[in-house]
Amino acid sequence: MVSGRGTRASVSAAANLNAVRETMDVLLEISRILNTGLDMETLSICLRLCEQGYNPEALSSGIKELRKVPEALKALKM
Amino acid sequence: MATPDQKSPNVLLQNLCCRILGRSEADVAQQFQFAVRVIGSNFAPTVERDEFLVAEKIKKELIRQRREADAALFSELHRKLHSQGVLKNKWSILYLLLNLSEDPRRQANKVSNYATLFAQALPRDAHSTPYYYARPQTLPLNYQDRGTQAVQSSGSLGSSGISSISMCALGGPAPPPQPLLPGQSHQTLGVGDCLRQQLGSRLAWTLTANQPSSQTPPSKGTPNAVSRSMTRSRREGETGGAVEITEAALVRDILYVFQGIDGKNIKMSNAENCYKVEGKANLSKSLRDTAVRLAELGWLHNKIRKYTDQRSLDRSFGLVGQSFCAALHQELKEYYRLLSVLHSQLQLEDDQGVNLGLESSLTLRRLLVWTYDPKIRLKTLAALVDHCQGRKGGELASAVHAYTRTGDPYMRSLVQHILSLVSHPVLSFLYRWIYDGELEDTYHEFFVASDPTVKTDRLWHDKYTLRKSMIPSFMTMDQSRKVLLIGKSINFLHQVCHDQTPTTKMIAVTKSAEPPQDAADLFTDLENAFQGKIDAAYFETSKYLLDVLNKKYSLLDHMQAMRRYLLLGQGDFIRHLMDLLKPELVRPATTLYQHNLTGILETAVRATNAQFDSPEILRRLDVRLLEVSPGDTGWDVFSLDYHVDGPIATVFTRECMSHYLRVFNFLWRAKRMEYILTDIRKGHMCNAKLLRNMPELSGVLHQCHILASEMVHFIHQMQYYITFEVLECSWDELWNRVQQAQDLDHIIAAHEAFLDTITSRCLLDSGSRVLLNQLRAVFDQIIELQNAQDAIYRAALEELQRRLQFEEKKKQHEIEGQWGVTAAEEEEENRRIREFQESIPKMCSQLQILTHFYQGIVQQFLVLLTTSSDESLRFLSFRLDFNEHYKAREPRLRVSLGTRGRRSAHM
Repeated sequence: MVSGRGTRASVSAAANLNAVRETMDVLLEISRILNTGLDMETLSICLRLCEQGYNPEALSSGIKELRKVPEALKALKM
Repeated sequence: MATPDQKSPNVLLQNLCCRILGRSEADVAQQFQFAVRVIGSNFAPTVERDEFLVAEKIKKELIRQRREADAALFSELHRKLHSQGVLKNKWSILYLLLNLSEDPRRQANKVSNYATLFAQALPRDAHSTPYYYARPQTLPLNYQDRGTQAVQSSGSLGSSGISSISMCALGGPAPPPQPLLPGQSHQTLGVGDCLRQQLGSRLAWTLTANQPSSQTPPSKGTPNAVSRSMTRSRREGETGGAVEITEAALVRDILYVFQGIDGKNIKMSNAENCYKVEGKANLSKSLRDTAVRLAELGWLHNKIRKYTDQRSLDRSFGLVGQSFCAALHQELKEYYRLLSVLHSQLQLEDDQGVNLGLESSLTLRRLLVWTYDPKIRLKTLAALVDHCQGRKGGELASAVHAYTRTGDPYMRSLVQHILSLVSHPVLSFLYRWIYDGELEDTYHEFFVASDPTVKTDRLWHDKYTLRKSMIPSFMTMDQSRKVLLIGKSINFLHQVCHDQTPTTKMIAVTKSAEPPQDAADLFTDLENAFQGKIDAAYFETSKYLLDVLNKKYSLLDHMQAMRRYLLLGQGDFIRHLMDLLKPELVRPATTLYQHNLTGILETAVRATNAQFDSPEILRRLDVRLLEVSPGDTGWDVFSLDYHVDGPIATVFTRECMSHYLRVFNFLWRAKRMEYILTDIRKGHMCNAKLLRNMPELSGVLHQCHILASEMVHFIHQMQYYITFEVLECSWDELWNRVQQAQDLDHIIAAHEAFLDTITSRCLLDSGSRVLLNQLRAVFDQIIELQNAQDAIYRAALEELQRRLQFEEKKKQHEIEGQWGVTAAEEEEENRRIREFQESIPKMCSQLQILTHFYQGIVQQFLVLLTTSSDESLRFLSFRLDFNEHYKAREPRLRVSLGTRGRRSAHM
């Protein structure tokens, strides 16, 4: 489970975990609706990066670029 | 994967890379580096951090994709997210998701993405550019043109555009084929290059070769545009010998050509006056054609530019021309604006190589579509420019107006806009002219021309004329005449009548300021707006002018005075004058003095009703002595005169006055004949009694009487004709017209018509010269008769006197007791009587000759009358010959008159 950065000690760990899980579910759902192509793990990583304050624009462009690589490599191999 | 809670970002990133790339950590070193730089380079976001904004955006995006259900779902989820409050930075993740989202129906939205691209001022990804430029150099470049079709191209198409046609949708292994792969099939050459430059495929530079182009289905949509410039590739070394021109290069060239600058490959060929792509360039035909089509825009631009540049140097071009050039400049500015947008788009591509997908870059096709409307505009403008070559002023306005007559509303609105600008100077001239009478037209653009050499006395007639070529076609001839008249009237009032009343008082209609939009309104309701203003100004000004003329300068009074004096209207005065003048005028002309005659004139005035005329009129009455030819008596040189000056002289010009004098001459002569005949009659009366004792004279006297009666009849009819048919009728008509006249031009015209009629009816015009000569001959005969009669009477009276004396003497002798009559005296007396009686036949014959002569002339006159074209003259002939006295003698008069009561002139 990803532990959300936003939670603090005041909430019990279990509740926290639940909330986090729910949040992740929601986010995954949203991501599915939006067709972002992110799976759970990638999403969680991204989430963590965002929470840490990274620029989501930069992040998104980076991801897009990175996505292109496999195809390119694949074509290369062909 | 289970990870500790807090991970360093780097580790996270590495994990991310692993995940996405699907490879182990070791392999992703390169990409990781890259990712680090990308992601780490910009810490601060450029967009506002508003979660709700982003949520709205997402919703909108979903709705746009027609997935309302999903949108509702999203709202629900968002609400949940919000309520959970786990995340601190909801905005961030939402934004990320939005960015990464893809529209399953990507192809439809390609073009719209362009719009968004344009609309955004800043690039979405503010990366430092050098990075991207640096990259390609590390990798070998390979140009193989046919390369990279199909899959490769699709892969490369999946660039990191904002809305990318990402091939890696849904993480599937095989990218779905892109149906909208742009028509690569028609691009044999330039294609390969374009593919290379996707950043994603930088890692795969080597892959060029073997993609069969047939894999790509041809498409009709936006082509696979060259988003990277060819130049960069060129920089890295060229392969392939021939100069290939990519579409990108063409696009750049075209953008230059649009401004009229020769590009590298597309140059202006002066011989054919068109833009041509350099022949030796290796270019597909379609590209070439498209390029040439686009180059037309540059040609049009050049044309317009040339015109405006030329004209701006031309000093004498005038205001209308300047406003036309200004309007053209405005249009060109809009065009340049478009060009700058296109340029910035190109720049953007250069700078932001990575992020712009192919669908958002410039291609020739895109240019074609975008420049379609501007092309129409430029075409219209170029056509206007052509049409307006060499014209200026009102002519230019007419030329532009001609182009508004088109059915195409777009073109019409454009041309109307230009027309309103162009006609603004003309209208301002116009309004200035009709409201102030001022004309400041240094470049001769207005249709009213002023001749500065004309003095004030000819102001009305000569100073202002219409320049017909400058009348704009939206004004009718009638309107322009009215305009001329209005301004003329104002100037007339100011200068000739010395009436400085400011125009605002004159004109009840207050002049409103004439802003340019007035001009625009004008053309929506062209006739009425114009007409209204001009008519109002016209009525007011003319009315005022006529008022001034009549009240201050008593124009109509003077006209009547002319009638009375110069046209012998005031009968008693004329008669008295003639009485007084008779003894003077029989003297030879050289012995006459003007002041004598003037004195007589004054006497006549004082003695008759003329004295009750206004002194203003009497002041102007005068005697004029005409030129003296040898042998003239006073009768031949005498004439009355009427002085005119000031505004009156505009109506009674010098030509008019000379006409008047000629008519006066004629009338005066006729009057004189009348006068003579009355004298003759008087003589008859007086002497008839006296001469009753001389029976031998009775034959002569009888003949005299007869002749005199004939002449009296003749003159009587002539006078009737002159007075009633000629003078009275024409005068009546003149008076009516003058009373109804709306402006001074009407009065002048009516007056001139009057004079023309009189002149022609009094046989004074050139056509009636023969008739006039005949008439003069008749008059001469009358004078002859008078002379003859005088002689007869003199002789008769003398004889009478002698006989009476003789009788007296006889009586006296008888009273004295002498013989009454001695034989010698008687003898002498008888001799004398016999002498006298012998002279009688001479007198008789003289009279007979006279009669014969006279009748011959009259017959001739009648013949001429019956063939004249004037009806009243023909009627005169009837009256003159009412009892067919002459017809009996003159065979020619017996010829029938034909259907129109007119004999043909050739008999």
